[in-house]
Formats: sequence, structure tokens, C-alpha cells
Amino acid sequence: MPEINEISKIRRKVLTEIAQMTFEGRLHTDVDNILHTVVTEEGPRYRCCVHKERAVLQDRVKSALSQPMSSTMTEAAVAALDGIIADTPTIQVLPVACDQCPLDRFIVTDACRNCLAHSCIASCPKKAISVVANRSFIDKTKCVECGLCKRSCPYGAIIEISRPCERACELGAIAADKARKAVIDYDKCVHCGACKMACPFGAISDRSMIVQVIQQIKAGRSVYALLAPAFIGQFGVQVRPGQVLSSLRKVGFQDALEVSVGADAVAVEEAHEFIERNQTPGAFMTTSCCPAFVGMVEKHLPTMKANISSLVSPMVAAAMDVKKNDPEGIVVFVGPCIAKKSEAERYPGIVDYVLTFEELATMIVGAGVNVTEADAGAFESAGSKDGNIFARAGGVLQAVENVLSQLAPEISVQAERCEGLGNCKKIMQEIEAGKRTANFFEGMACTGGCVGGPGALTDSRVTTRLVENFAGSSPEKSAVTNPKSEEIIKLGLHRPHESHNESKQD
Amino acid sequence: MLTVEICMGTSCHLMGTQDLMDILDALPADQRRQIEIKGVTCFKNCGKSPNIRINGELLGNVTPELLLEVLQNNLK
Repeated sequence: MPEINEISKIRRKVLTEIAQMTFEGRLHTDVDNILHTVVTEEGPRYRCCVHKERAVLQDRVKSALSQPMSSTMTEAAVAALDGIIADTPTIQVLPVACDQCPLDRFIVTDACRNCLAHSCIASCPKKAISVVANRSFIDKTKCVECGLCKRSCPYGAIIEISRPCERACELGAIAADKARKAVIDYDKCVHCGACKMACPFGAISDRSMIVQVIQQIKAGRSVYALLAPAFIGQFGVQVRPGQVLSSLRKVGFQDALEVSVGADAVAVEEAHEFIERNQTPGAFMTTSCCPAFVGMVEKHLPTMKANISSLVSPMVAAAMDVKKNDPEGIVVFVGPCIAKKSEAERYPGIVDYVLTFEELATMIVGAGVNVTEADAGAFESAGSKDGNIFARAGGVLQAVENVLSQLAPEISVQAERCEGLGNCKKIMQEIEAGKRTANFFEGMACTGGCVGGPGALTDSRVTTRLVENFAGSSPEKSAVTNPKSEEIIKLGLHRPHESHNESKQD
Repeated sequence: MLTVEICMGTSCHLMGTQDLMDILDALPADQRRQIEIKGVTCFKNCGKSPNIRINGELLGNVTPELLLEVLQNNLK
């Protein structure tokens, strides 16, 4: 996450204030104050007036509370304090915030020479183009944005402009409706968060559960933070992992545990499944840890669904381990990922809540804790080098290959890997069509892998380096020999209804 | 020597400390040599994160642009 812009700052201020008010027990009475502390009369102003700005802010607050837009601020605060998470999508367009980008998709530029051929006029099926002031003119009331004029112009004088959210979504899941408001098609959306990061008006938001988590802590429950392997360096490049642990205890978490132990178990089991599948000629298996990648295959390449490894993600594996040791414990996964919020819904009673690193940091600040001032006790990773490198692109593949080299060195792995959902989809289609040969595939929705996720706080290039160092410092050198992974494997790591053998019979 | 104290605390980190560090790192070598950077854990001014202190003067809500401007005014 490079360059923190005004949108991130507003979002983080809102979350921090909500967290602080919740810790102090005054959210239900003071929630409206946020409208005046985050947006002041003096500005800065991004919208037409202070009233519009506050209306947008109300949407942001309700999304931050996981409540419907139809409730009032106080209703939303009370419901969130009661632990309610409304049945709203993980990621949504904030109705007031969407600026209805008045972009005309096709624009005639100065390069138009008003030529004799007029191929644009001839090409337009809606007769939307005429010559006005010595240049072609597109009548927006007739234009259906088919693009034939752009393709027909010999000068390339007609350009196509797209809305940032539409351009960011590589799965075509967001488009403007008739009123030019952005609308997400949830049959196509996999909650990766790319549109949220792209919208220059901050009009797309993922719901947050910080209040619900704080309430569990305040109720005295044993709340465990499960930290994704990308947590290294997220709270400051110089912050030591031990400082994160002691800060979370100060905030009120029972303990903070690493998901990398779950990743170790997944790497071992995935290698076993690969060996088994590989007995069938032409077998092809993909990783299953990135929920946006899995969602992409399920929704956009349904014929390849059976190729996804049948394993749960490291998040779920690690959560199962926590629940085994403390069945009454509350599991809060913390990572750089928005799609995990949707994945967790498939595992009720295992993963109770999902927060991003950004949301956790606002909770820490809201609790009055400063990670840089916390004690740094000795901290050694419980996960092996293999489990820790899951955080960066290529890491899952490398971990599974490491395991295979120990379990079945005779098997040849012909692997492909990809970052970005559009790229993943394209390469997978080529593999299905036989244009590419591969028997193993690592799919990552975010550039750089998890470290490049939308909920990260530190630049992915920096985090990649820090993750690599931390992985190298782990006392456990391999997922295979980590005694913890053996323990977790015994819990049974196959996804419900997705056992590899079942899907073969389909 | 110009002393730039920069807050590395969690609140300031959330509001863009790293972007300010990047600005300092990207200064031309002759200017960079005139600056001493000190990391601070908190200026007790978290409401105006990110905070820096230059020549003893505390500045809040610092943006990369503001930092550059202040530096240019202080460096000769």
C-alpha cells in the first residue's frame, strides 16, 4: 500500500474514532460526533458542501459498523454494539458517495480532421454522430457506447475512457447503471477489493467488524488474533513481531497466534494431494489459499472447479487449531485481505471475525496503545520457513515444491503461477484449452501476493523483504518437520463438500 | 545540521509516516547530508497525525508536500 491518500486518511480516522468510542463505552451516545470531527466546517472540502460530505460520512460509518444504509447512525451504533452484523455484502458501493462519474465513454478528440470518409458516422448504428463545428460530435442521448466509431476512425481520434472502478475490476463485476451510479454484480464479484482501492471518491467500502470484536473483548471472552504471515512490518518497518504480540495483549486479546502454522499444514497436505492426483495422467491442480482466486474459478471458470485443491486455507486450518485448544475462544483472523471476510462466512463457528491490518491498527490506536512503545519480548515464529513465505507471490508454490522434494522427489512439478485475477483467468483458460502445459498452479489475486493486499499498511516490496528475512529466521526449517503441522493435519483439512474424491465423481 | 524528528508511533504510521520518510530518503544528497533524522515514538499529538518536529517546532497533519516546503525553507 504505497502513498496514503486522503481517502485512506478519512477511512482510518472514522475507524479509529469508532474504536476509541467503543473502548470508552460511548459509541451509542457519541457516534454523531464523528460527523463533526472528521469533517470540520473549515474543510478540507472534497464535495460540493459540508452537508454532502457529512451524508457520505454517514454511509462510511454505517459500513464501518456492518449495518445497513437504511438505519440511522444511532441505530447502527446500537446494533453493532449488540454484536449484530447485518446481512450486507462484504464490499459495496456507498450510495451517496458514488459521484456518478460523468465520463462519456467515447470522446472525439482534437485529432478529428473532419475527413471526407466520415467512417465514424457510417459506423454508428444509432445515428448518434454528426458534424458540429468542423468536428464529429457524439450525441450522448443516442450513444449506446458500442465502440464502433472508435474502431472505425483511421486517425484514432476517438478515445475510450473508462471509470476507475470498472477498469480495476478484471472480472467485469462492476458497471455504471442508467443513473451512472456504480453497481456491483455479486454473481461475478469475488470481493478482492480492487475497485475499492481504485475509486478516487472512496465510494466503495468493505464492512468492518471492529466494534463487534471490541465488544467480545470487553465482555471478557478469550479473543485470539490470528495473524496472517504478511503481518511482519505492517505496524512500522522497525516494529518487532514481539511488540505486536504485547500490544495486542494490552488491547485485550488473549493471545496472538500465527497463521503460518496453518500454512505449514496446508503445504504438506497440498503436496500429498498433488502426489495422489498426479497418478492420473494430465492431472492439474491449483492452490486454494487465496479466496479471491478460488472465487474467480468458482464463478468464472466453473468447469475448472474440480482442479482447485480440496484443502481449506491456512486461515481456517489455524482457526481449527485454536478452537480445538479453546472451544469457547473467539477467533479473529487479521490479514491484508478483504476476500477473507467472505471466506470466513463459509466457516461459522471456526473463524468468528475477520479484520484487515488497517482495521486492527485503528483498534490499537483507539485503545490508546502504541506498538512502538510496547515491550519486545523474544519472538520466534511457530511456523516454518515454508509457512511464512505464503505471504508473498510464489511462496505457496515454493513451499509445496519444498515439501514434494522431501516426500516424492521423483515427481516432476511443472508449475505456473500468476498474480492478478485477469491474468490468472487467462492462463487457466490456456491450460484448460491445452495451449499451455502445467500440473500445478499458484493463483494470487493481488500483485505481489498477500503482502500486496488492500488491507495492508506497508508497501508490498518492503514487506516482501521483511517476510523473507523473518521466514529465514524461523527455527523450523520445513513444513514437513514442524511438529505443529502434524497436529493440525489431524484435524482434517478438507473443505466441506469439496473433498477431492467427491469432485472427481461429479 | 537540521534535526528532523519524525513520529513512528502507530497513529502516525496509519496516517502516513512512511510517505514522509520516503520524501526524506529521496532528497538530493547535498540536502540529505544537512539533515539528521530521529525517530520518535510519540509527540502526544495523535489527533493531528502524522507529526514531525523540525528545529524544535512541532508540526501536525504533515503531508509530503508540507514537509518538502518546510525543509526548503529551513535548508539553505
